[in-house]
Amino acid sequence: MTDKKPQVQIQQERTYPRFDLGQRWEHGLLVISATVLMLTGLPQKFRDLSWSQYLLSTPHRLEIFQQIHHIAALVLILEALYHIGKAIYQLSKRKLSAEFFPTMQDVKDAGHMLQYLFFLRKDKPKYGKYNFEQKVTYWVVFLGFLLMIISGLIIWFPIFFTDYLPGGIIPAAKLMHSTEAMVATIFILIWHFYHVHIERLNLSIFTGRLSEKEMKVYHSREYERLNRKSSKEINKPGDRK
Amino acid sequence: MIRIHPFIKIAGLATLLLILGVSIHPVKAAPTSQVPTAQKALINPDDSACLACHQNPNFNITIGIQQKETLSLFVDPSKFQHSVHGEIGISCIGCHEGFKPEAGHGMVYGSHRELTLRMNTICANCHQKQSDQEKDSVHAAARAAGKLEAAICTDCHTAHEVQRLKDPKTGQLFPTTRIWIPLTCQKCHSTIYEKYRNSVHGIALTDGNNPDVPTCIDCHGVHIIEDPTTAKFRLDSPMLCAKCHTNPAIMDKYGISTQVLNTYVADFHGTTVTIFEKLSPDSVTNKPVCYDCHGVHDITNVNDPQKGLTIKQNLLKKCQRCHPNANTNFPDAWLSHYIPSPQKYPIVYYINLFYTFFIPGILLPMAVLVLMDFGRAMVNKFTKPHSKKKIFYHTSDGEDHHE
Repeated sequence: MTDKKPQVQIQQERTYPRFDLGQRWEHGLLVISATVLMLTGLPQKFRDLSWSQYLLSTPHRLEIFQQIHHIAALVLILEALYHIGKAIYQLSKRKLSAEFFPTMQDVKDAGHMLQYLFFLRKDKPKYGKYNFEQKVTYWVVFLGFLLMIISGLIIWFPIFFTDYLPGGIIPAAKLMHSTEAMVATIFILIWHFYHVHIERLNLSIFTGRLSEKEMKVYHSREYERLNRKSSKEINKPGDRK
Repeated sequence: MIRIHPFIKIAGLATLLLILGVSIHPVKAAPTSQVPTAQKALINPDDSACLACHQNPNFNITIGIQQKETLSLFVDPSKFQHSVHGEIGISCIGCHEGFKPEAGHGMVYGSHRELTLRMNTICANCHQKQSDQEKDSVHAAARAAGKLEAAICTDCHTAHEVQRLKDPKTGQLFPTTRIWIPLTCQKCHSTIYEKYRNSVHGIALTDGNNPDVPTCIDCHGVHIIEDPTTAKFRLDSPMLCAKCHTNPAIMDKYGISTQVLNTYVADFHGTTVTIFEKLSPDSVTNKPVCYDCHGVHDITNVNDPQKGLTIKQNLLKKCQRCHPNANTNFPDAWLSHYIPSPQKYPIVYYINLFYTFFIPGILLPMAVLVLMDFGRAMVNKFTKPHSKKKIFYHTSDGEDHHE
């Protein structure tokens, strides 16, 4: 499938694989389930507002909201299990890419970027395959959703969890669930949406590929590294994790 | 323009003032008279004709279809004299107007109750407001459904020994009235009275004559007594308790928290109940309200060594009514009306503390970085000389790249 893509392009510009089909599907599921979870969860949090009271005004409506929330939660949990399971499998085969782990280079890049933002430097840092901003996005979402899933399960099955844990974890999980939801929502809206929609429209999570131009500008270190190899190697799907 | 003579002006002003004075004067004068004119007409000191028969304690007749019901027609004149109506001098025919003088007064009735119900309409002649309120009450509904024993005016107030219940100066119930009310309701609702009598409120009222605790009508209303078994009453009930329990003037005396409503509303059950109460007040819900845990009439002090809810086992039993598999850890899932603090529910407190700093501490700088990034991109876009584009990589947003 991936081999066909370059032929579609009329210009001679090359594209570089960034996300494989599985990763694009994962992102799609995440977008859908997280959106549904936020839309059905936020009215439950903002119970003081008239619109959320209207949405939850009868026992029947409340039940529908909870059921939709639970179904979307199951989708998210399955996706999270697949994601972690795949990582463990790749780790066991020693095929897990280390590219998405934070490194010292990311700290340096962040410092560099800060200097650029304060007009102390004219150039932006030269990034690898994933820049520090993208790594922050990944890890905040990963850890945030992990917290959401754990705290959500605790308030979904309070009887089961209090068999093993003190009762105080229920209100703690409830507080964490609703507050972390706010953190995740605000984070995605300001950080993620800015970087993929406003700073530049980056659709690689849907198309799976980045253009040569984008690679040169935004991932120049990765571009240079790839161009030191032969072009055959670049298009090999196994290059990515 | 017509010129008006100054004398006419003065005369006109004087007339106006006179009319004004006359119209104001009676309004001021009215409250000073002791007995309203409407009631004065009822006063007839000559009750002797009536009492000739009715002051005999053995004046009984048998009534009913089988003539098995004995009806006492005795009226104790001394007791009537001490009733609120006797005090202001209302005579027999003030209420019993238009009765025929012959024996039986021309009345036809099948039973004592039927007679009482018919006579009950008399009260409305003066007490229209109370009568109208009573028509919307649970008692009126029960009577309409055929339960004729449901209370009417005289069942609570008596017919000839009606007592003054409110202090006319303050408009408040007399302390004795507050104790009298449960005893009155008890005539029919005896099992409920027993529960109330031994509740934290009932003991304080009956034994301590405490004016702060609720008597029956404080929750159930007076005359317009609502059906307490409806879904609406259930959803409204937390606000009923909150009337006193959020009032620091009352609660501070007993060291009871006034945060009980806030803390209830902040939790799952309370949130749901308050939203339903506001938007679908007739919804049937099993979400607990105050009385599901604290008791309906048998409300006990939470520190009671036997029944108090601070004893975990007692609270667990309440939880298990809806969560049958709950174990001993489960009741702690409810914050027991506490606002989390380092002492009470420290996990919740510290998570809250963490996010209080985390949200502005992390998300605000992120927002600032995003704005700075946007600002820098804008600056680049509008200040970059065109010629440089040839030297550097051409990019869509006009950023340069040194090589």
